[in-house]
Amino acid sequence: MHIAIIEDDKKTVAYLRKGLTENGFIVDTAENGEDGLYLVQSGDYDLVILDVMLPRRDGWSILSALRRHGGQTPVLFLTARDQVADRVKGLELGADDYLVKPFAFSELLARMRSILRRGPVRQPEQLNAGDLQIDVIRHKVTRCGQSLDLTPKEFLLLSLLARRQGEVLSRTLIAEQVWDINFDSDSNVVDVAIRRLRRKVDDPFPEKLIHTVRGVGYVFERR
Amino acid sequence: MSLNAANAFPRIKRRLSPSSWSITTKLTILYALSAFAMLALASGFLHWVLIRNLMQEDNQFLTDKIHVIRALLKRHPNDQAALQEEIQWEGETFRLTRYYARILTPSSRLLIETPGMTALIAPSDFASPTALGKLPKRGVLWQAPHGATFLTMSAHATTGGAHPAQRLIQVALSTSREDRLVTDYRQKLLAVLALGVVISSILGFLLARKGMRPLREITRTAQRITSSQLHERIDATRWPRELTALAAAFDEMLDRLEESFSRLRQFSADLAHELRTPVNVLMGEAEVALSRPRPAEELRQTLESSLEEYGRLARMIDSLLFLARADSGKAPIQRTMLDAYREMETVRDFYDAVAAEQGITITCHGSAALYADPALLRRALSNVLANALRHSAPGGAVTLHARTLPGPVAELTVSDHGDGIDARHLPKIFDRFYRADSARAADASGAGLGLAIVKSIMTLHEGEVTFHSQPGRGTTVTLRFPAAAPSLPGAP
Repeated sequence: MHIAIIEDDKKTVAYLRKGLTENGFIVDTAENGEDGLYLVQSGDYDLVILDVMLPRRDGWSILSALRRHGGQTPVLFLTARDQVADRVKGLELGADDYLVKPFAFSELLARMRSILRRGPVRQPEQLNAGDLQIDVIRHKVTRCGQSLDLTPKEFLLLSLLARRQGEVLSRTLIAEQVWDINFDSDSNVVDVAIRRLRRKVDDPFPEKLIHTVRGVGYVFERR
Repeated sequence: MSLNAANAFPRIKRRLSPSSWSITTKLTILYALSAFAMLALASGFLHWVLIRNLMQEDNQFLTDKIHVIRALLKRHPNDQAALQEEIQWEGETFRLTRYYARILTPSSRLLIETPGMTALIAPSDFASPTALGKLPKRGVLWQAPHGATFLTMSAHATTGGAHPAQRLIQVALSTSREDRLVTDYRQKLLAVLALGVVISSILGFLLARKGMRPLREITRTAQRITSSQLHERIDATRWPRELTALAAAFDEMLDRLEESFSRLRQFSADLAHELRTPVNVLMGEAEVALSRPRPAEELRQTLESSLEEYGRLARMIDSLLFLARADSGKAPIQRTMLDAYREMETVRDFYDAVAAEQGITITCHGSAALYADPALLRRALSNVLANALRHSAPGGAVTLHARTLPGPVAELTVSDHGDGIDARHLPKIFDRFYRADSARAADASGAGLGLAIVKSIMTLHEGEVTFHSQPGRGTTVTLRFPAAAPSLPGAP
């Protein structure tokens, strides 16, 4: 996957390049608006990460120039200006998503993956991970042939983790997807819910599937 | 040049518009106008009375004359001497007013007249005569071509004796002298009028200035007050009664300003303090980690700990931005009709795991429709519920309840049976960074902004939040939302 980053803050560029490269993306960068527009118009990118405030040409102008010339490359906005008008403007100009600084890197990865994955996605009826089977339709979970008794929310939580195996999911994203709670809460609600889920899913069995990535979130994978 | 013109224009415009004139100017003009009106009315009346009296006297004089001449003709038709006396010499005895009389036959032949009368008024200049048996009441004013004015009267008469004959009496009175008198009087009245207006303007100006003095003093006092001297007050008792209300309102405004300023100062200090702790941890951890070679695992732990701290800082910034935007009325709010019970359940589900872990049961009761932004409603409810859970003992219960009150208002309550809040904390409970339980602050659950956010959310919704707490028995938090969208004007 080829990613273009147009961002003028050198430290941000450096950690984004490092993080994205390590996650298997090929990254090109530009540090001002003019170079950025040239970059996205000359290269074939799968996704553009675009800062709004840029020297010489702002992100909006790059986006509208790109769309005017028929460029369909998905664009993810980074902005420090968390104003509704700004978001609406970005989305109207044809951005695919936006992130407000400061944001968690895992959040960026999740948004990028969701943009790149867009299109008709068929939900699998059955999710498997080692000796764990999730029957999405009948809301049944079995491990080692043993049926697990989960509450509806625990089932949703486990399905979310299992569907996105190997992907670190932030607490914010989990709260949003499972409980429909759209704000960062200070409380450890998600941690407690995971702890309780683990007690049923992981604790009785030798192989652990739900792992904590400290400071970031949780990941479901066989290690 | 154009800049000057642009600047000067509004000023001129302002000066021309009466609403922006100074009160002193307005009062002076009003004084002058009312003095003018009073004096003009009085002078006009006196003038009218004078003219009327003079006219009455003149008419009376002429009527009397006609009466006398008629009597003379009737009783002494042949007494030529008496007639001469009456007509020819009478006029000359009146030194002050020139009086003229004339007797004609019906065919307009002159029988006798005051000398020189024809040169002044020809017989044809008189109006039609009054019939016999009637006395003319009012004369006719006649202006001679050379400028003099006469009051004229004419009447029929008959001579007495054996051969009665028809006669025509014409009498006239020069009013020129009276006219001069009236003109003179009028000039004096106008002078009095002008002088009165000038004097009353000056007096009015002085009075208005004196009346306005307290206002200027209040202004000077107000100008002295700056943000660093907000404790100064105008003191309502020192001023005339009309200004007491203004001074009191001003002092109240200063009270509020002083309070906001001190809150702001407190908030800035708290903010700096709140930031200092995590930044200190971050700096310290990084410094210690880098001070000597360490295995990767240890460095990793340091970074993980930093990440948690960064997350906390980011959330604090988010919350502060939210509060700032709510304060300035710029927070986005998208309200729809919501089912209170479903929203309570959503939030309850979110906290279910945490509550179960503490052995606390959360129950939802009641129902209500409410008009709110779903994300903000959940945030408010969630902050209140988190607070209730924090204050509940293991094995306790937290109850969420919804009902509709007249208004209509949707009332959501969150009740716990925990330790309650001491009454002295209640007034400050919605302050930013305020924590009633300083000991608990260490567990880092919440930066002390949760309830401030609840209050902001309720303000955004034109609702309210209230706390009822009994130490040792529990707390009930009540959120009141509008239960319906405000009906649009013109909607059915």
